[in-house]
Amino acid sequence: MRFLITLIASSLLVGGLFLFGTKLLNNTSSSETDVLFVYNWGEYIDPELIKQFTEETGIRVVYETFDSNEAMLVKIKQKQRYDVVFPSEYTVEKMKKDNLLLPIDPDKIPNIKNIDERFLGLSFDPGNEYSLPYFWGTVGILYNPETTTGMDFSTWDSVWDESLLNDVLLLDGARETIGFVLNSEGHSLNSTNKEELDQAKQKLEKLSPNVRGIVGDEIASMMKENEAKVAVVWSGMAMDIMYENEDLIYTIPQEGTNLWFDTMAIPSSAKNIDGAHQFINFLLDKNVALQNTDWVGYATPNQAAFKELDEEVKNAKEFYPDKETMEKLEVYRDLGPEWTEYYNELLLEFKMSLD
Amino acid sequence: MNTLSRSFLTVIIIFLYFPILYLAYYSFNTGGSMTSFEGFTLDYYKSVIENKALMTVIMNTIAVALISSGFATIIGLFGAIFLYLIRQKYVKSTLLTLNNVLIVSPDVIIGASLLILFSIFGIKLGSTSVILAHIAFSVPIVVLMILPSLYQQNSNLVLAAHDLGASAFHVVTKVLIPNIKPGIFAGFLMALTYSLDDFAVTFFVTGNGFSTLSVEIYAMARRGITLEINAISTVIFVVVLTISFIYYFVSDKKIKRGKTT
Repeated sequence: MRFLITLIASSLLVGGLFLFGTKLLNNTSSSETDVLFVYNWGEYIDPELIKQFTEETGIRVVYETFDSNEAMLVKIKQKQRYDVVFPSEYTVEKMKKDNLLLPIDPDKIPNIKNIDERFLGLSFDPGNEYSLPYFWGTVGILYNPETTTGMDFSTWDSVWDESLLNDVLLLDGARETIGFVLNSEGHSLNSTNKEELDQAKQKLEKLSPNVRGIVGDEIASMMKENEAKVAVVWSGMAMDIMYENEDLIYTIPQEGTNLWFDTMAIPSSAKNIDGAHQFINFLLDKNVALQNTDWVGYATPNQAAFKELDEEVKNAKEFYPDKETMEKLEVYRDLGPEWTEYYNELLLEFKMSLD
Repeated sequence: MNTLSRSFLTVIIIFLYFPILYLAYYSFNTGGSMTSFEGFTLDYYKSVIENKALMTVIMNTIAVALISSGFATIIGLFGAIFLYLIRQKYVKSTLLTLNNVLIVSPDVIIGASLLILFSIFGIKLGSTSVILAHIAFSVPIVVLMILPSLYQQNSNLVLAAHDLGASAFHVVTKVLIPNIKPGIFAGFLMALTYSLDDFAVTFFVTGNGFSTLSVEIYAMARRGITLEINAISTVIFVVVLTISFIYYFVSDKKIKRGKTT
């Protein structure tokens, strides 16, 4: 009997001590005043810049990463402390509605002047009260010119071509997939017109023989290995893939497409609000943004940094489209739960109809 | 026939253990990837130890394993004794089947249902929810580990104790429990190993910055495998192997004693 008591008591005691130890370990780190909690997408900042920020300001950065807007939202809603977050534009709209963001004081961020005016005051946050753009991009077609010999991908309709049987990869996102079908018909990708949406669904069903798969991150590896000829992807993802497989070409179809932003914002759970402003201002600095754009490889909204980029990068029309193309791009609006649900349902029905 | 079965066994063991050894081998690689071995280094073990966030997670994992298996052993022990003492055959077999269903039902289902339960009762996800979940899936294992040793002991001892005037409490504490010591210990160790390597159930009930090693490794691997993961996995493998060896010796002793009595 004594053996049993010893066994149980010692295991509970040691376990309790460990638990207490970790609590202690974490408390000392979070009670420091000169700490900034940054919550960003994975691989989305040059780590050298974080060190530089700490050297310049003395603020220690605790850096954590997330892999989807939704995962980030859950943490913020549970009041987990973060001082700077990087939500995408439709999430900014949602967070604004739910009072999960704190206003940004423009006086504390003189580097706002570096941002290209085209990217300020957009519909998801007019007046940029709560968010400032970090990187931006589009949705387009990534294809391999060798295996699709001579095909022209300047329109969305080209994806429906019969020669692409079982060779097209789509993104597993309702807004992206339904959106490009709406675009191909000349409709807005924020459509809340049931007729247009049902028409889009019928058109999508015609695409099913060509669809190799509706996938997420796997698109990158599949395109790198030339497992599929064509993919509908985000421009940022396309850049990463093209870096490893130089044969591929990314193009924005002429009917127009989505314009997306990842933004910098201060969540309601922030404690070091001054530090958050300093960090955002730091990232908008010309040289910092230049170095970060080099490292991340996405399109920067920072005009001052853009001017300093290599000619080759600057002139890449598919990633920094000209004015004419820019006018056709559209930002996702938060459609509200009902229509979001309907979009999801359409994609789900399509997925189920695939073999 | 003998050589055939022996070579079959060898092949199976190679298949099962080769990937783990391969992974452990490359955790000492200076090359930084699993493609070619360039030289011996302990850098990855060092960086695991220096990584404060990771050390927190490791300590959490040990704490959860110890606390949950401690509680599970108590609950499981009384569950097993109760099952042993039940007279009606169909009640006994029903309860035993219900116990076994919990062991064979998929972790995903247990995890998801616990998550729903916790949110209904408003238990905040974190250390408490993880420990409760681990106790929940460990209890059936402990019951199953202790039950055989209850049947193996000489049942006349219990009757004799009653005859000699021992109270029910004394029968349990002075006769039953000392007799099934190896079984209890085996149950405790089994609960410990189950808790250490559980991913699916834990995945559902972690939150608020509290995480265990298997969940953390999964998150790390999504961003690409670094050799740090190899290093941690090697350490876990060695720990679990050690526990299973201890378990083996304990249960081995139990069987021998069972033969002599």
